[in-house]
Amino acid sequence: MRASPGGRPGTMWSRMAASLRKESVSEAITGYLFVSPFLVTIGTFIFFAAVYAFYLSFHKYDLFSPPEFVGLANYRKLLTNTDFRIALRNVAVYTAGVVPTQTAVAIALAVLANQKLKLRGFFRSAYYVPCITSSVASSLIFMWLYYKQGIINYILSLLRLPSNIDWLGNPSTALPAIMTLVIWTTSAYFMVVFLAALQDIPTSVYEASKIDGASGWQTFWHVTLPLLRPSIFLVVVLGTIGCMQVFDQVYIMTRGGPLKSTMSIVYLVYTEAFGDLKFGYGAAMAFALFAVIFVLTLIQRKYLDIKIEY
Amino acid sequence: MKRFAGIVLCAVLLMTLAVGAAAAGKVTLVLSGWQASPEEQQLVKDALEVFAKKYPDIEVKYEPIVEDYSTKIKTMLAARNAPDVFYVDIFWAEPLMKRGMLLALDPYMAKTGTKRSDFAETLLNGFTYDGKTYGIPKDFNTLGLFYNKKMFDEAKIPYPTPDWTWDTLRDVAKKLTNVVGDPAKDRYGICLPVDAARFRPFLVQSGAQFVDKTGTKCLFASPEGIRALDFYTSFKTKDKSAVIPSEVGAGWGGDAFGKERVAMVLEGGWLIPYLNNNFANVEYGVCELPKGPAGRGNVYFTVSYSVAASCKHPEEAWLLVEHLTGYENQKKVLETGFALPTRIALGEHPFFKDNPNMAAIFKGYAYAVPWQFGEHSEKIMNVLNQAIEKVYLKNESPEKAMKDAVKEIDGILSE
Repeated sequence: MRASPGGRPGTMWSRMAASLRKESVSEAITGYLFVSPFLVTIGTFIFFAAVYAFYLSFHKYDLFSPPEFVGLANYRKLLTNTDFRIALRNVAVYTAGVVPTQTAVAIALAVLANQKLKLRGFFRSAYYVPCITSSVASSLIFMWLYYKQGIINYILSLLRLPSNIDWLGNPSTALPAIMTLVIWTTSAYFMVVFLAALQDIPTSVYEASKIDGASGWQTFWHVTLPLLRPSIFLVVVLGTIGCMQVFDQVYIMTRGGPLKSTMSIVYLVYTEAFGDLKFGYGAAMAFALFAVIFVLTLIQRKYLDIKIEY
Repeated sequence: MKRFAGIVLCAVLLMTLAVGAAAAGKVTLVLSGWQASPEEQQLVKDALEVFAKKYPDIEVKYEPIVEDYSTKIKTMLAARNAPDVFYVDIFWAEPLMKRGMLLALDPYMAKTGTKRSDFAETLLNGFTYDGKTYGIPKDFNTLGLFYNKKMFDEAKIPYPTPDWTWDTLRDVAKKLTNVVGDPAKDRYGICLPVDAARFRPFLVQSGAQFVDKTGTKCLFASPEGIRALDFYTSFKTKDKSAVIPSEVGAGWGGDAFGKERVAMVLEGGWLIPYLNNNFANVEYGVCELPKGPAGRGNVYFTVSYSVAASCKHPEEAWLLVEHLTGYENQKKVLETGFALPTRIALGEHPFFKDNPNMAAIFKGYAYAVPWQFGEHSEKIMNVLNQAIEKVYLKNESPEKAMKDAVKEIDGILSE
């Protein structure tokens, strides 16, 4: 330790340091007190629940009798479960369709909403409305649109296109129908992320590209898009996680049907646990899903995540 | 001074506690059910008013559950936080009885002189496990054949009678179908949804048993079972005389019937108030289901009032159950036409003479099987739904669909 100036080692300086320490301790306590409501909630309903679910995944548990240890039996059963395989495939198709589309739509919306247009505030709010609408309400509205006598078929009939489609009742159209609904609702949410990122890009970069004679399209492709990469990474990761966990829309619109064509993993977890009282098995499924998401996120991180310095 | 104030405060608190305890001689019970129609809910409230006059010391809080009833009740039971008295559907009664979540009512029944034999035996058996009674059926329903009188008149076809056979049903459904290519005008003979509950009666009519004596082998893949699936699906796949509700822009069979898109539908008594409230112009009748190759068959749905095993006032809870399922209350419910009584003494009530529609649904009970498949009801129902769906949407043969379904059901039963 360096000697303190003034030739009077200790006393004043150490006293100050001590009082500082005391202050910082009490400050820390205050800080923790402020965040404690959040910590307690998240601790009980997320951390504890997750750890307990992991514990349950090695048990046979029917909600009423005490959990009975079964080792890896639940996970082993999962390997031969055809429904789980179907759900995994559905969710893969769903994610592969939704994530790129919603990201692209979100970027397009953000670029549009970032222009200096008349009524910019109105457009921004209008784009954002689908995402603050509850998923239950939007699912119900889309069910009406998708009915065989619904508006979508009516518009198709005006265009003299095939219009006799039971969108949610047909195994080949039900999943795309749900995907369309989800893209519509989530794109707006991610638009906000991109909008914030766009406003972070310094104007000097645009000026430089203008001086170099880049067209609008070139500027977007070679300047804006690369600079949005950290946000794209964020949106793709969050989007993938959300898609892998799709539940509400399936529960309300199709209940996994027709012919299991919209069966998602979380919906399967729900039916096993609450329908058939197999909570341990359901928990094992949830952790298998967690493993899949974890690996996917690692891969995305490897290929998409880069730091940008201006 | 401070201490004195403290003592006074303590004394006041103690006194209020004592007063509270005296008032608490009044027992409070919580009653839950799913949220039915407003009219039906009013019936429960009326019954509770009568109960409050009869037992002024028991206070009943009625707390209906809005959505996802069985999920909520199961989690509440697991948390030992369940209502004292609540509805239990026969469809998922067995897992609860088996795991000791419900109170055996027999000792309390003995105290007030209620006998098992007062109630229809088959209904009560749905809430009996290991010889003990875990619920008193509050009412029940079977399926009836609802028919649109106007459409029958226009096609000059006589109304259905109880001696109709499978062939008559198929024949008439074909005659009543009128598809002109305009979705607003197309009419179909019958609505046969992807729903194992509507398909179940045909299995009985064809003579197919659910399981063998061991209870682990499903018998639906027998020639009789395959015949039933073939019959149920032929209306739609071969004759084009049947639709599922979504094809005609309806949410369920009753809705399709009310909107007059189909001439016939298989529904229970719940359709009567639904039609009165939403489609009062539709003139309809209800008939017993037609006879199949193996005779009559139907399916019954029933719900009990049960008491949670964790209930702290079982004596009082039983008094509530007894009142709600008692002769007087069931008589009142029947006379409003909402549900069918479970008390044998009410089977001869003159109400049925004036209400042939309700009478037709009541008669189905004599040859009906319960709507449940034991411990794994929901899973097995889903497998049967899939079988119907495979024939409807993938043009799979009923034989293959049924055999695959039974393979899956056997797997579930042997778990």
